[in-house]
Amino acid sequence: MPFTISVPAPSIPIIHNGPSDSDSADSEGDIDMGRPSKRAKLSTKSIVTPGETVTDDPQWMRGHGTYTSPLTSAIVSSVSGTLQKTNKLLSINPLRARYTPEIGDLVVGRIVEVQTKRWKVDLSAPLLAHLPLSAINLPGGILRKRTTTDELAIRSFFSEGDLLVAEVQSLYQDGAASLHTRSLKYGKLRNGVFLAVSGTGGGAGVVRARRQVWTVHTGNGGGEVDVVLGVNGYIWICKHSGGELVEGKGGAQVSITRIEDAVGESMYSNRNDKIGSATRREIARLAGVVRALVEGGVRVDEEMVMRGYEASLGGEDMEDDDEDGGGESAEYLGGEKGKRIVERALAAVHAARG
Amino acid sequence: MPPTPLPTLLSSSELSYLHTSLSLSPPIRPDARSPTSFRPLVAETDLLPTANGSARLCFADGTEAIVGVKAEVERTGVVGKKVDLRDSGVEEDIEMGDGDDKTVGSGKVGGEDRWLEVTVDIPGQRDDDAMVVFLGQMIFEGLVADGEFRGRLVVNERWHWRVFVDILLLSAPLTYPLPLLSLTTHLALLSTHLPAPVAGLGKDDDPLFNDDWDAAFPLYPSAYSKSRAKASIARPPITLLVISVGDNIFFDPSHAELAVADAVIAVTIASSTSENRNDGELSLLAIRTIDPPSRLSSLAAEVGQAGEDGAWKPKKGGMSRSVLRKMVGMCVEKGGVGQEVLGGLEGFT
Repeated sequence: MPFTISVPAPSIPIIHNGPSDSDSADSEGDIDMGRPSKRAKLSTKSIVTPGETVTDDPQWMRGHGTYTSPLTSAIVSSVSGTLQKTNKLLSINPLRARYTPEIGDLVVGRIVEVQTKRWKVDLSAPLLAHLPLSAINLPGGILRKRTTTDELAIRSFFSEGDLLVAEVQSLYQDGAASLHTRSLKYGKLRNGVFLAVSGTGGGAGVVRARRQVWTVHTGNGGGEVDVVLGVNGYIWICKHSGGELVEGKGGAQVSITRIEDAVGESMYSNRNDKIGSATRREIARLAGVVRALVEGGVRVDEEMVMRGYEASLGGEDMEDDDEDGGGESAEYLGGEKGKRIVERALAAVHAARG
Repeated sequence: MPPTPLPTLLSSSELSYLHTSLSLSPPIRPDARSPTSFRPLVAETDLLPTANGSARLCFADGTEAIVGVKAEVERTGVVGKKVDLRDSGVEEDIEMGDGDDKTVGSGKVGGEDRWLEVTVDIPGQRDDDAMVVFLGQMIFEGLVADGEFRGRLVVNERWHWRVFVDILLLSAPLTYPLPLLSLTTHLALLSTHLPAPVAGLGKDDDPLFNDDWDAAFPLYPSAYSKSRAKASIARPPITLLVISVGDNIFFDPSHAELAVADAVIAVTIASSTSENRNDGELSLLAIRTIDPPSRLSSLAAEVGQAGEDGAWKPKKGGMSRSVLRKMVGMCVEKGGVGQEVLGGLEGFT
């Protein structure tokens, strides 16, 4: 159906911190914290909002997402989210938060500003990240000090709007990240589409996982497609080319002395390779799966994306005769169809785990 | 023509990938939709308790708008007294200049365009911002274009309804917001009810209205309703955003698709009044060309050289007439996209 309107989903009834809950409230409406437990406990029953007094019992320590005023001992929430107790430490897991960079994160970023010796990169973090000129590989893999000639030619490496995959090398005092691309796994992104979902920090989105980059052997003659899940919620799905972007497949095994063989002159090129329409269709399908996962409030990682992709491939032949009139609209994974795919993917994950 | 809300920041390889995908035959949209399909919308009507009609609509890209329609009874000024009306401060800020010019001529048809007021509010933008004024004017012109709307506002010879359409964009204008605002206005007007008059429809009487809200009659009566003799198939117009990439036409373009569009037009259509056409075609009220954002996002693409599969460069020059004909045809033809959208909106309320 090319045009659908639906009524808004009924809001989930809000569970107040009432006396009926296990976390009973006292007369001031504060949550009675009960006896502290040894393990970290996540309260899924209730949501605290900014400014809400979590407790005024002085035995608790404040953690992330909370603050205290110097006059009272009350701990007040500074974000909206669920309460987490670890021994005597109270912290709030935000429902939705911007990405907070951590050293070693694989991120996908977009250049927003070019300065003389560095780029400013948007990671959807509170502050723009820095990518110094000295933290990139020069074309041809030449290892030398960066000169003023390189500074003049800075836009030939990355210019505004360019996408790159990088690693967080260090953090500044204010929380801004400093990136590097000094590995064959990292660098400029081409031949694909970009998606922005919410990153690590609560709710659905990309989670830190063992593998953030992998290659999908797509169906329908689509060939190999790379998926890069940046921890910051930026996702890149592109045609697989060579061994460059994939961990443990040629790229990472090139020794530093033979780097010039692998880093071609074309590593900063803006030109796309030739991409067949079958590949493009599968890239669009993978992007649709990721969107459906995010809309369904499910974490985005390798397992979920692959299960969702299999569900979208398998579900097509039996579903499109009864509702869609066939053709390409059957490939659109929004709305109801997206929900079904998420359900199936979740079921497949549960089945695989036994 | 109007300014584009946000300059799109896409890398030149992304632009090239998008443009090539969209100009294939059959085209591949980044979300695998078919060229004419719309992303699912979420809507509700009659949500504002104090308005005569209201609607809220959410597009899939996260943009959202609320429209409230309010009506008040006003004394109809005779031609000589019109000046008094204006001095009393009834005129509103976004009153479109040309509304006054038509007044004298349209008085005979029964009603004036001035009786309708459309205000658009976009957070963070001034009321006299070029885009805000343009959007308000686009919607206003569409509503009064059939010349029939003002006739509905007449109560009797001395009194008439004055309708205020307040459009509020709740989210930041991520994409060009005209279709969102237009569809929301459409839904709000369909849900608008005016109190039913019980007495005073005579020439010199002051009208008296039934205070029973259930007895109120809709501003746009449904085609199937028997309640009112005036039941007609007239519907408020809608404006659709249509883009072309190469020879392919796309409806409901996403942010990324707009960035590589060769041409962007806003087509205002309405169901035609029955006596003109019976073949089920919609009538075309307006076409506005919109400066495609690709002209702005081109800067990044200039770096690479133009090639068959290399970096993409935005098309220079205008759009071809055959493409324009195809775009308009797909909107207005029988069983076309326009009818589908109007049918979907009608079925919702």
